[in-house]
Amino acid sequence: MALVELSNVTKQFTKGEQTITPLDQIDLQIAEGEFVSLMGPSGSGKSTLLNLVSGIDRPDSGSIVIDGTDITQLSRGKLADWRAENLGYIFQTHNLIPVLTAYENVELPTLLLKQTSQQRARRVQLAMNAVGLGDRVNHYPRQLSGGQEQRVGIARAIVTHPKIVVADEPTGSLDLKTSRQIQKLLQDLNQQLGITMLMVTHDNEVASIATRQLLLNQGKFIDGHTSPSVRREGGEALG
Amino acid sequence: MGTHHHPFAGKVGKPLVKYILKTLWRHRARTFLTVSGTAVAMFVFCLVGSVQQGMSRLTEDTAANQNLIVFQENRFCPASSHLPEDYAAKIQKLDGVREVIPIQVWTNNCRASLDIVVFNGADPTKIQRHRPLVLTDGSWQTFSNRQDAAIVGRGVASRRNISAGDQFTIGSLSVYVAGIFISEIPAEENLIYTDLRFLQYTSGLNMAGLVTQHEVVLNESASPDLVASEIDALLRSGAVATKTRRKSAFQASTLSDLIDLISFAHWLGYASIGLVLSLVATTTVMSVQDRMKEYAVLQTLGVRPSGTVSLVVGESLFLCLVGGCVGTFIASITLFVGSFAIGAEGATIAFRPSLSLALFGVGISLAVGVIAGIAPAIRAATVNIANTLQDA
Ligand SMILES: Nc1ncnc2c1ncn2[C@@H]1O[C@H](COP(=O)(O)OP(=O)(O)OP(=O)(O)O)[C@@H](O)[C@H]1O
Ligand SMILES: [Mg+2]
Repeated sequence: MALVELSNVTKQFTKGEQTITPLDQIDLQIAEGEFVSLMGPSGSGKSTLLNLVSGIDRPDSGSIVIDGTDITQLSRGKLADWRAENLGYIFQTHNLIPVLTAYENVELPTLLLKQTSQQRARRVQLAMNAVGLGDRVNHYPRQLSGGQEQRVGIARAIVTHPKIVVADEPTGSLDLKTSRQIQKLLQDLNQQLGITMLMVTHDNEVASIATRQLLLNQGKFIDGHTSPSVRREGGEALG
Repeated sequence: MGTHHHPFAGKVGKPLVKYILKTLWRHRARTFLTVSGTAVAMFVFCLVGSVQQGMSRLTEDTAANQNLIVFQENRFCPASSHLPEDYAAKIQKLDGVREVIPIQVWTNNCRASLDIVVFNGADPTKIQRHRPLVLTDGSWQTFSNRQDAAIVGRGVASRRNISAGDQFTIGSLSVYVAGIFISEIPAEENLIYTDLRFLQYTSGLNMAGLVTQHEVVLNESASPDLVASEIDALLRSGAVATKTRRKSAFQASTLSDLIDLISFAHWLGYASIGLVLSLVATTTVMSVQDRMKEYAVLQTLGVRPSGTVSLVVGESLFLCLVGGCVGTFIASITLFVGSFAIGAEGATIAFRPSLSLALFGVGISLAVGVIAGIAPAIRAATVNIANTLQDA
């Protein structure tokens, strides 16, 4: 069974008289270790899909089963607990907490888990090293460059060793050079640490680092690359 | 996979307190203004509270409820009440009366005043026996031996800067200060006691044989109201008609104008609390509004709605508690150092700091802190995460 399994998921929004259906009865499976990129025109529902997988929004119908848990059935509080343990979220703009240092920002998600302070410290250090910021731990977000901030944001997303990491245009507000560094980082995290990722992007080049590309338009996936792409799930990596 | 922890429990509490403090520090100007506003309001609240406490002590004091004051009928100022001193012997014969203390009262000011000086002239041995006074300086010996000796309450002494051994002069009165006393009844600490004879001879023309009032100490089993009416009935035939009341009722009626005013002042206390509430609520609402996205991010990371509530309420609680403690502390110090008392017609209400008042002030701050934070906390906890994250 795939790590992530969306079945028959529909999401609609009503704006005044008009009803939009960014996600229309879609199915999606993501296997453990996959790196899936999600592209599509603006307003096609990419962020909406990401938010459903993250449990920060709810579908109108359908089920979203992640590692055996149907997260559409969880209460808001239980969803928070579930996210703390299973989800890493990389924002387009880093969204670091400005009053906390880089270290404290990365440490924050670990505080929500039952761990000893040694376990925490080790995980934070690992995550900081993984993003190449081991020497910037005591800086505040405003003292970091855009790329560094995004690295801290990525460290924060992976520090709890989540089941899946989602990213909404993680390079969307970076210059080309920095964007390439972040792409490399994300690719390494997937290939070397085996982190399962779902990433929204507008950029073909960015999408190409993924093992499988999805294209969303008018509520449906185009091309139908909806089955898992890693070897052990039978598919061949497309990336 | 470890069990999930509530973000405000146990070891995890510390980082979240740190988060709250750092957030407040980031907006330190706003934090400082809110805390000082809260402190000022709680300062006022405590002053008003101590006035109220001083007033209720008048009526709750047990001795004041068991002792009677015999005063000239239809007279209100001590200067105008003149009772024969020998009434004491007549009253003494009544059932239930343990002792009668003839007292001459002299005051510098019959009107309401914050710096009233009240002399009570009575037999020194009776004063020592029936008043809960403890000398902190000087001696009872000197008080009994010198005709012009006086013992001075701590409140007057500190307001007027009087110490034992001084000569204290006010108006036509000049006394030698034989001692300074403290009392468990704060109003007592605003009195000066002298010998009855001394006050009778100095305070005017024909005071020999006359006193302002008689204080009647009753046996514990006696009914004060019953004895009071017996006294008035007994003395109706005498030279001067009397009005006898419990000491507490006597004081309350003497101070009735002031008491009306003071009762009105409790609105000021409520207003102070309202002020703190609106001040802290405004600050918290502003702080939360600025940071809705931060709360959306925190919840995306896995902070529960309840944890979010704790963060916001923690912020408003901190503002209130720090401001409240500072205000309460300064008020207590001020009340202690200032020894304020308001008096009229020879009776006084003392404003003293008290532990109960300080605890009440802190408790109020705590409650207001929680209440002020609830609405913004609920807003932060129920934020639409997805929409808020999309808004740049
Ligand atoms: N809370 C909402 N209320 C109403 N409509 C919404 C809401 N959220 C999203 N939509 C609409 O749903 C559609 C999909 O939005 P979504 O943000 O998922 O698009 P997207 O693919 O991420 O676009 P972009 O590339 O611009 O980020 C859009 O038409 C958007 O206007
Ligand atoms: Mg989007």
